[in-house]
Amino acid sequence: MVFTETKRYYVERRITERMVATSNPSFSGYFAYLRSELRDEVEQFINAFTVNETYFYREDHQLDCLSTDLLQERVATKRPGDPIRIWSVPCSTGEEPYSIAIWLLENWKEVDAYDIEIVGSDIDTRVLEAAAEGIFGKRALMRLSPELVGRYFHELGDDRWQILDDLRQSVRFSRVNLIETRETRPQGRFDVIFCRNVLIYFDDESRRVAAENLYDNLMPGGFICLGHTESMSRISPLFEVCRYSGAIVYRRPQELRA
Amino acid sequence: MPLVRKPSSTTAMPAPDGRTLAEIFATGSDDERWTAARNAAAAPDGAALLADVLSRERSPRVREAIFTALAKIATSESAAVTLPYLRSDEAAERTAALDALRAMPAAAAQHLPGLLNDSDPDVRLLACEIARALPAGDASRALGELLERETHSNVCSAAIEVLAETGDVASLPILTRCAGRFPDDPFLTFAVRAASDRIGSSNR
Repeated sequence: MVFTETKRYYVERRITERMVATSNPSFSGYFAYLRSELRDEVEQFINAFTVNETYFYREDHQLDCLSTDLLQERVATKRPGDPIRIWSVPCSTGEEPYSIAIWLLENWKEVDAYDIEIVGSDIDTRVLEAAAEGIFGKRALMRLSPELVGRYFHELGDDRWQILDDLRQSVRFSRVNLIETRETRPQGRFDVIFCRNVLIYFDDESRRVAAENLYDNLMPGGFICLGHTESMSRISPLFEVCRYSGAIVYRRPQELRA
Repeated sequence: MPLVRKPSSTTAMPAPDGRTLAEIFATGSDDERWTAARNAAAAPDGAALLADVLSRERSPRVREAIFTALAKIATSESAAVTLPYLRSDEAAERTAALDALRAMPAAAAQHLPGLLNDSDPDVRLLACEIARALPAGDASRALGELLERETHSNVCSAAIEVLAETGDVASLPILTRCAGRFPDDPFLTFAVRAASDRIGSSNR
């Protein structure tokens, strides 16, 4: 994660929040506290710096591409009943993995023919707890029609809705740091990875490591979707660029020539 | 519901099997060599080992991991291992080396004076991109010195492109003198004018 001079205010604000939360009036005192790794403060510190604002059906042209193109290609070599694995990383508070689930249930005609496993991962344990709970405010649902909200959520009152238990129980959440192979590799290999708007926060070296880990987590022929301002071509030469009508995505080649 | 949830994957990191990294590089599968490249970044003799392996590894994925490991080591030695690949006949290999050097800017900077004085204009041209990662003042100084002596217009163009971002008013007369040495090169004339305008407007 890299914060340039333009982010100084953001960094100061987050550190100040953690100093207050840990009752450390001075930075030196807080820094010593952080280094002593008391009460999981390193984890809390990381949590304070991650950006977690998102909403359902964000960049839904990629979801359209998923059901129209990507999964059609993936199932070409699968048999009915075979698993299809989709990874949302970082998943923040769960909007993306649940969006994928709802989108497929609504829009992919072959959804009943395969075992679809959706995994959501994030470095921030706080958002993972929220994701598993599956409670969302009005803003997060703004792109969903009232019919979809009625079908997949139940209203809690106070402008809060919770994802139905069936759907909530169908998505697995795990903590993962994308630059730690010992954390990414146990997630297994996926048919499609959604990794949107996170690589832009890494420095060059970490970005390379993360891209190689993501490649490792893709099945041969599997796809990765980045944010619309991101390009894997600028990070790694290993991926193929695939241009579809709805989105540009990247693919791990079936086989690389040695 | 067709959505299934499984407890976790079984694809864990393989346990160490007693082989040394060198043995894994010599006999391991692509996956094992990829993992070995990752682990070599933390090994005491990592740069030397990776130098040896890089000279014969054929898998693009493993080669990429080796370059990344060298960037992660980020020493003058690991940068030196990467430098020869800037001279490769293959564009992909030159790009891989350049990307790795850009990912270790401080280590690469130690070799920059030599690269900017290299006898091969293609190496000098790529070195301009490495300079881009330096603090603006250092980059402008190094590229300004290059521009004063450079005889190859393509190298000058590469340096001017970086100077347009890093340069200050001290760069302006250098740019003017460079354009004067290539009066018959319309692109260089244009590039100098564009860079001078940009530096001028950002220093007003």
